[in-house]
Amino acid sequence: MISNSQDHALIERCKSGDRQSLEKLVGLYEKPVYNAAYRILGNLDDAADITQAVFLKVFEHLGQYDPKYKLFSWIYRIAVNESINQLKRGKRQQTFSDNEVAATDNPEAELAAGDLSREIQIGLMGLKEDYRTVIVLRHFSDCSYAQISEILQIPEKTVKSRLYSARQLMKETLQARGVH
Amino acid sequence: MLEERTIHLINTDIDGELTAAEREELDVILESSSEAREMRVELLRLSNLLDSLPEQSPPPALLKQILNKLAPSSRASNFSLSGLFASFQPATAGMTFAAGLLLTVGFYELSPNGQSSSDTASMVGTMVASQPGSQDLLKNDVRLKGDGFSGTVSLRNKDGVYILNFDLDSSDMTEIKVGLDRTGLSFGGFAETVSDADKVFESVTISGGTLRVVNQGRQQFAVFLRVNSPEQAIDAGSVTIDFPRDGDRLYGGVPES
Repeated sequence: MISNSQDHALIERCKSGDRQSLEKLVGLYEKPVYNAAYRILGNLDDAADITQAVFLKVFEHLGQYDPKYKLFSWIYRIAVNESINQLKRGKRQQTFSDNEVAATDNPEAELAAGDLSREIQIGLMGLKEDYRTVIVLRHFSDCSYAQISEILQIPEKTVKSRLYSARQLMKETLQARGVH
Repeated sequence: MLEERTIHLINTDIDGELTAAEREELDVILESSSEAREMRVELLRLSNLLDSLPEQSPPPALLKQILNKLAPSSRASNFSLSGLFASFQPATAGMTFAAGLLLTVGFYELSPNGQSSSDTASMVGTMVASQPGSQDLLKNDVRLKGDGFSGTVSLRNKDGVYILNFDLDSSDMTEIKVGLDRTGLSFGGFAETVSDADKVFESVTISGGTLRVVNQGRQQFAVFLRVNSPEQAIDAGSVTIDFPRDGDRLYGGVPES
């Protein structure tokens, strides 16, 4: 994440059509957006589609960017909204991919990690969207309460409440599936 | 049953957002409550599980795909259709192709969202051919010649509006289709500039990204392609122009040399 003044300068250069700045902005946020979308959607193909859609929206609306918000918050907000819209469209959701676990030299560990990862994604997909989103932003995007509050435009108190409930549900789901 | 305050403190601890005072408060609770300690261990385990999942790497091509959609290609300024048309071999003037011919006109511009407009009224009557200041995008106009059918097609850019000019003469009813689906450009208007007095357009219809004109006789007309929103980047696309006839027979042409 970069500072507000750097954000602003980057946005201004992008608005002027500077290709290097476009590349920098996309390079900075492509992976975080892709990962957040993947965890919300549970599907790598959808995550790629959404990542593209997010950046198209970002650049379409650069002129509407409000500098009082951090750039990453604005981009994440678009990513979350696009992902939720995608869920509502019901495309390819909840088809968890086996390709997500990084290859290792230890096939047994890889299998175990894959199983675990799959179980966790199943647990995530079992949560309602509000809960899943806060879990994703907190644990996969490493956002603080304040950042989640800014991204979702809800009070911090609500962020905490959703997060606690989501964790409790996740814990119960995973325990019920034998993951401890 | 744990108090709400305790649950709040444990979760906030897991998230690393406890204040010093809250830390002291939680330590006291944990010391005296096995239930609180157990909950903290369980939540910490869950948190560690979530944090341990590997980050996904986007497909290597994704970044390039995004950038291609966001920025105009460097090919735009030098774009010429003559190279594309050169692929229609053998390039013998007047040849009629038994198979279909599809003229593909590439655009590499920031372009709008592909929404089509059927607002043609404002454009009708505008003469665009040979307008001062217009930029020829077709270095060589496309010359079409077939059985009972001849004409030229040119593409120009005037103040950001792309204009496809048609100058056609057909003895029979001829159908022309202009496809915009993949361009990101939208239909901006249609203007008939010259036509035989007794042989006007049979029909002009717009459906989605396709403009379909059916005409007969001598016709000059222009199709305006509009870039609605320069901020919105889209795929480099293409306009397609084809001339089907009699169901299965298509006429094609070759560029002027």
